[in-house]
Amino acid sequence: MTALPTIATMVGVNRTLRGPAITHPFGLDEAERRRIVERGLEMLQAEVEPLTVWDVE
Amino acid sequence: MVKAVHYVNQFFAGLGSEEAARTPPSRLAGAVGPGRGLQAALEGIEIAATITCGDDYFAEHEAEAVARLLELFEAEEAGILVAGPAFGSGRYGYACARLAAAVAERGTPAVAAMHEENPGVAAAGKAYVVPTAVNVAGMREALPRMAALAGALASGRELGPPEEEGYLPRGVRRNYRTGRLGAERAIDLLLAKLSGETRTEVSSGFDRVEPPAPVPDLSHALLALVTEAGCVPQGNPDRLPTIRARGWLRYSLAGRATLAPDEWECVHGGFDVALANEDPNRLVPLDTVSELVGEGRIGRLHDAFYTTTGNGTPAAVSARFGQEIARDLKEAGVEAVLLSGT
Amino acid sequence: MAWELASFPAELLRVDAARVQALAAAEPALAGVDVDVARPGEPIRITHVLDAVEPRIRPDGRPAFPTEGRAGLGRTNRLAGVAVVSCLDFPGEERPLHEQEGIIDLAGPGAEVTPFGAMANVVLTFKPVAGAGHVAIDQAVRRVTLAVAQLLAEPTLEAEPAEVERFELGRPTPGLPSIAALVQLSDLGQLYIQYVYGAPAGMAGLPRAFDPAELLDGAVTCGEYHWASMRNPTIFNQGSALVRALYREHGKRLNFAGLVLMRGYEQTAADKQGAAEAAARLARQLGADGAIITTDAGGNSHTDTMLTCRACERAGVRTAVIVSEQADPTSTETGLVDWVPEADCIVSVGNSEDSVPAWAPERVLGGELLLDGTRAREAGPIKTQDYLGATNQMGQLDLAARTW
Repeated sequence: MTALPTIATMVGVNRTLRGPAITHPFGLDEAERRRIVERGLEMLQAEVEPLTVWDVE
Repeated sequence: MVKAVHYVNQFFAGLGSEEAARTPPSRLAGAVGPGRGLQAALEGIEIAATITCGDDYFAEHEAEAVARLLELFEAEEAGILVAGPAFGSGRYGYACARLAAAVAERGTPAVAAMHEENPGVAAAGKAYVVPTAVNVAGMREALPRMAALAGALASGRELGPPEEEGYLPRGVRRNYRTGRLGAERAIDLLLAKLSGETRTEVSSGFDRVEPPAPVPDLSHALLALVTEAGCVPQGNPDRLPTIRARGWLRYSLAGRATLAPDEWECVHGGFDVALANEDPNRLVPLDTVSELVGEGRIGRLHDAFYTTTGNGTPAAVSARFGQEIARDLKEAGVEAVLLSGT
Repeated sequence: MAWELASFPAELLRVDAARVQALAAAEPALAGVDVDVARPGEPIRITHVLDAVEPRIRPDGRPAFPTEGRAGLGRTNRLAGVAVVSCLDFPGEERPLHEQEGIIDLAGPGAEVTPFGAMANVVLTFKPVAGAGHVAIDQAVRRVTLAVAQLLAEPTLEAEPAEVERFELGRPTPGLPSIAALVQLSDLGQLYIQYVYGAPAGMAGLPRAFDPAELLDGAVTCGEYHWASMRNPTIFNQGSALVRALYREHGKRLNFAGLVLMRGYEQTAADKQGAAEAAARLARQLGADGAIITTDAGGNSHTDTMLTCRACERAGVRTAVIVSEQADPTSTETGLVDWVPEADCIVSVGNSEDSVPAWAPERVLGGELLLDGTRAREAGPIKTQDYLGATNQMGQLDLAARTW
């Protein structure tokens, strides 16, 4: 999870989830955090191409 | 006289420090801040305007920021862009490099300046990067070097090799005569490798690995939390550096279901940590993950999390941290990781 | 078993054009041949170069480029500093693979990037018979070129050698690392083929171990006309810097474990993997601790190189590989066509996309128009890729690429 997905892909990260901000990649409140973590779990269970970036929504 | 545009961040434009980091792009007339010293060193080049953007705004709205800054740049009809110096600042360096790369991509010469280990260097594309000291104490040295390279580029002549012209190698590959046959070099390198010293004349750049297969069943998997956001126990007992970390740390999560603000803090020196210190779960989402374990969505949570500061760390050093942490995780049987990057 | 190579000076070179033309006249696919000599420093550019061959002859009367029997035994004479250069612009008929432009300059900056700029080049510009077909034309050109190479070495039979080198591997020295040479030979189809004793590499039962002297003694000849800079003309096999250096170092810094010839451009993924593993097994059988892997031409032959590297490393044989980079000199993209993480010890023989500055030749041999239609006299800067053997992946030259 990062708000800097281009750096992540540049260094070779294959599963990147675009976080809302540098200062709080897992969101500000619990509801937002839950959406981000659940999306992350979904990505962990998905077949992806190299250097894939997903958005939370 | 060639017209130049100078890019600086909100701080060097005089708009304010971290509290102004979300300022959108804007234009200021003439040379501003370090641009005045740069102007003094430039020959035959005039800084017509200064363009600026808050570091956080740039990072969080990169596409919009680059587009707007390019508009501001092109309105000046300048012959060259000069960006920085950003020294060791990762966000500022990245912004300088991205903008310079975008300008160079359109065929206009562009120079950015920053420390050679600034992660922004890798984003500079076809633009040139002048190496500087790691912090602002190197300003006096940096400006004449930026001016010299800007002058060479503005003259339109073909640049020589990096060490002669004072720029960081861009990754462009040019031929030269080594004085030793390739076959002999192969024997030298192979004998060195057999005696434990492996060298190569060319490599593929960053490692590329195939995407790992999907986790088959998260409800039975062991999941771990990793961060480079510098999350540590209050008081930073193990003295994790705020910048240029030399290693990583591992802290037990046994018996915890959340990271309480009175027990944990963030010591990362590369962004405003106020929001993270209000609620460390914003960096390491232990509260949410604990709930999901309770609901059976995740099998188990690894009983420790891993932390370092990813700030001014050379890529090769970061790669070593990653390999070491991954080895630890594999030994523990971890099958899935959520990692936050800041 | 030993082999002796006797070197004779280039001053013995005598070119009898009538005898060369008689050889071409015996070929139904050829209408004739022009014969010229181009010497170092002359303002000459040679174009449409296919192959270059060192003049060789055997005093015992066996052929210099045998298609049966065994090379690397007895004695062979060489005319040093001379290259027989075959040139041909293939007719514009349909053919699956196309020869790429091949240039030699005898002056200007281009003279520095190939070894031929410092040699006496006997230039054979062939004229094909219309409608003969590229297969028959190519066979005839290779046959005549090798025959001319033998013809030009005839004066050595009556002369005293300047030097005689003996190639024989003594017993391995305990405690020194054993190093094998794994030499790749292309076979992608007609015009992109290296020949082993006259047979296409793909029909020569490769990979297979050979006496290293066989490579130096005419067992491998070139019919591979892919990118010129990454091409290994016959003369590079005859004068393999790698095999020569390994002989020289034998018993000093290393033991020369032997030579494996491998095919480049194996056609299927399974064949590529199988051939890579077979080459690694051969290296093990030779007792190699390490192997140096060479490459021929480019594209998916680089995949064969990398798979062989991986297979060797997995079999416990440490590797160094020799490849050319192909990186746009204005871009920062990687110039390696293929790469595996095991390839941690790579010799770069240069970037074939980097350019050689322009100069103005006064005379052009081979053909006035380059294959891309530009005039050879005023072509401007030319990519290194078009210069014969300039970034060859056998390690014949001292070129490399560095990061700007």
